[in-house]
Amino acid sequence: MKSEIGKLYIELNEEFNFYAPIKVKGNLEFKKILNPDDIVLDYYNSKVPPKEILFPKTDILFEYKTDGKNVTEIIERTDLDEKNIIFGIRPCDAHSFVILETFFAFGDVEDEIFLKKRANSLIIGIGCNTPRSTCFCTSIEGHPFMKDDMDIFLVDLGEKYLVEGISEKGKELMSRLKWLSDADRKDIKKARELYEQAEHSIETKLDLKDINKILDPHFEHPIWAEISDICIGCGTCSFLCPTCTCFDVIDEMDQYHNKGRRFRIWDTCQFCLYTLHTSGHNPRDSCIERCRNRILHKFCYYPENYNMLGCVGCGRCIQLCPVNNDLRVIIEKLNSIKTKKEEKVSA
Amino acid sequence: MVISVSIESENRDIENSMKETARALLKEKKVDVIIGYSKGTVPLSSAPILIRNVDEVERLVWNNLCYINLAKYLVPRIPQLIDPEKGDLNVGIITKGCVGRALIHLRTENQINLENVIMIGIPCNGIINRKKIEKEIGENEILELFTSGNEIIVKGKDFEKKFSFEDYVNELCKVCKIKAPPKIKELQGSYVGECQEVSSIDDNFEDLTEFESKPTVEKWNYIKDTLQTCTRCYACREACPMCYCKLCFVDQNKPIWFQKTTEISDIISFHLVRAMHLAGRCVACGACSSVCPVGIDLNLINRKLEKIVKERFDFTSGIDASKMPPMMEYSMDDAEEFMLEED
Amino acid sequence: MHNPYIPKLTSIKDVVSENKVNDIKTLELEFQNDDDYKKFDYIPGQFAEISLIGKGECPIGIASSPTEEGTIKFTIKKMGTVTTGFHACEIGDIVGVRGPFGNGWPIEDMKGKDIVVIGGGFAFSTLRSLVVYLLDEKIRKDYKKITIIYGNRDSGEVLYQDVLEEWKKRDDIEVVLTIDREEKGWKGKVGFVAPIVKEVGPSSDNAVVVVCGPPIMIKTTIQVLEDLNFNDHQILNSLEMRMKCGIGKCGRCNIGNKYVCIDGPVFSLAELKNLPNEY
Repeated sequence: MKSEIGKLYIELNEEFNFYAPIKVKGNLEFKKILNPDDIVLDYYNSKVPPKEILFPKTDILFEYKTDGKNVTEIIERTDLDEKNIIFGIRPCDAHSFVILETFFAFGDVEDEIFLKKRANSLIIGIGCNTPRSTCFCTSIEGHPFMKDDMDIFLVDLGEKYLVEGISEKGKELMSRLKWLSDADRKDIKKARELYEQAEHSIETKLDLKDINKILDPHFEHPIWAEISDICIGCGTCSFLCPTCTCFDVIDEMDQYHNKGRRFRIWDTCQFCLYTLHTSGHNPRDSCIERCRNRILHKFCYYPENYNMLGCVGCGRCIQLCPVNNDLRVIIEKLNSIKTKKEEKVSA
Repeated sequence: MVISVSIESENRDIENSMKETARALLKEKKVDVIIGYSKGTVPLSSAPILIRNVDEVERLVWNNLCYINLAKYLVPRIPQLIDPEKGDLNVGIITKGCVGRALIHLRTENQINLENVIMIGIPCNGIINRKKIEKEIGENEILELFTSGNEIIVKGKDFEKKFSFEDYVNELCKVCKIKAPPKIKELQGSYVGECQEVSSIDDNFEDLTEFESKPTVEKWNYIKDTLQTCTRCYACREACPMCYCKLCFVDQNKPIWFQKTTEISDIISFHLVRAMHLAGRCVACGACSSVCPVGIDLNLINRKLEKIVKERFDFTSGIDASKMPPMMEYSMDDAEEFMLEED
Repeated sequence: MHNPYIPKLTSIKDVVSENKVNDIKTLELEFQNDDDYKKFDYIPGQFAEISLIGKGECPIGIASSPTEEGTIKFTIKKMGTVTTGFHACEIGDIVGVRGPFGNGWPIEDMKGKDIVVIGGGFAFSTLRSLVVYLLDEKIRKDYKKITIIYGNRDSGEVLYQDVLEEWKKRDDIEVVLTIDREEKGWKGKVGFVAPIVKEVGPSSDNAVVVVCGPPIMIKTTIQVLEDLNFNDHQILNSLEMRMKCGIGKCGRCNIGNKYVCIDGPVFSLAELKNLPNEY
């Protein structure tokens, strides 16, 4: 029953940090909650993606003490072993955690801060009964009811939630919740109907098949100038993207108390200073190169490096771009390079 | 604020005349490219567009969602408006009042050459406060928005709501006195629709009285409250035509003046210092608030500074290209009471 | 798993000024913890992220060779906030070190070949590491002829003059120094690096050439090398890029599908030609 969310919280919040969607100043955000009554599950999606739970906008790397001149001690984070419940996120965002994890674990050196938090987190996600008109998860092999990337999957049946354990950890947690009642055939049938309804309601369909093969040879194509002409170079698309991970590292010193911190903050390749060398040389000097880099990164380099697209189809960038530089229009324009090429060949 | 009986028919007339003028400018080769607005691909939005030939002019629109200040694309000039051989292209620009103010103020600050800019002046009757409407509608997707009579109609899959146009335009638009660009000799071009000639603004800033009467603690809490959700994406800065510095103060690291974290002290520092940098320069277009992804409304802060500049220096930005902005010059008559001791 | 963002603490053992105008210094660092030194297992061409904790961190190529035991050296040019901070450091000050990062020079593949080392100005830092390594008595025999061509604006800019003198005395390495313009008392060659390379004319047969320097020098030198029949796989370059984390996570040094801090900074010309022109 929907009213039993509170029970879930009470049972789990001693052991876990409980993150759930709540309204903050009219905006839906994922925050560590203190009161389960604040939880909002009837929503499209948040503006700031839940990546901020495990990869916050401001993330302390370490703290340190000094003797007034030199560093005397480095103090590491002690909260990475805390357990988290990430409650009520959508399948697109749940999938983003798979992409984030792949990225942070890639290569010889892993990002321990993110990965430890992720390993200690359980995802209880919820299916999208009504996807937004800008959602396109089905175009990236996702689905509004995709549950593979979650530990426990909820379906909103109206008065109650259908709860399904997906992973071992999820099933084990569910077995602890003795007050859950068994689902009956009607519930499962309803869930199935909602699944199909949601799938059919996805309006936006992007043709992303082999997109990296189209983009790769067209690095210098004039279409990039067209696609980026109105971009103003802010950080909205990257900051609100569930899979963007670029960050800047900054040191801070409190010389009055002989201590300080080093932390990382969200950064974006869309800022003009991002690739600026101290010598003054800037390899990506205008919005053209920067817009191009973002698209190539998500649709070309990610498939090449990690065998997955760097996009989950959540549509946040489409909804919130200040100048309405719509990704769907961009992908369509880029796909048209392919058809133009084919026309040329046949002519 | 006087609302005409039918906003959308007024808009349509303006749109048609605007397109006619645009076609003429392109045909006569007076401009190489026109910057205007096109229909947004998501409800409650519009997209700036560059029009290069007569066939594309159809795509231009004019409505109450044209919130971007197009002067942004001229300073610094985006590469698409520069020809590698010929240099700066001749640009036509759809100019509502605040865009005209921006162009004039940028001229005053010597940042723009208006000789290759031709304006298509338009009387704007206000930009709809999309964040306010979204907050009212809540978690229901808006699929359509249009004006009818003096109302804003918002439709979703299974709802329809009406809002009064007067109440749901941007706060800055409610008190705007410059709907069409001021007429000055440096800003060449033509006007479309009924444009009032404005040579000065008579603004009593009475919209600020309520806020000003609050105790300091409450004012401070308001500022903290408004700004706390800032993600430091800098959309406000990038949308502002007056923020053209090659290196913004917040990006400087020799020394680091202010930090870039999302801690409240750093957020407040950024926004208040930026507001100070805009004192006497802000043209009250409201683009900053319209583009903020988390719906922060900076209107009160910027408007209060506009009032102080008007009271102390009798200056309003973007009206008169010959008047020097107060932060760029000094006079022996400048008020000094904050520096001198009482005798 | 360990936290890759935590620097290991070292103290400055020595500071050497490398050029006349005193804006390039070499810091010799000693790890506070011996275990940390043992774990800092590097090869020439790699870099480390060194920090003045509280001021910031920057990626600097390791100038010492792993054969020079006990300490590690970094040559730093005074350019930005952090490097200026390093220049104000004294012996005994604490420096944080994270690393070693990067792929380094391909010393295994270079075995049994002639090595041509071409450097310009301040970029000679990791080349010093490479040459000192190659000349180690246990290692020298694995490589064939070694030629160094090192160019600078003027004689005051020549780095590592002490080791250069030692190398000049050896008979198993050819050292050619050049400066841009005639100078009184200068006994080496005069001219830009590219024409001097042409003059020296190293053979491309079974050889690897390593080029490091300012972009214009690299461009002109590569043209000369191509005329000398070096192919794209034989020419190696160490790329300079804006870097922050050094471990391929912050995204700054990303070019195409590569990260300069993990797939580089050493790239062959063939590999560079495959990358988008964003460096």
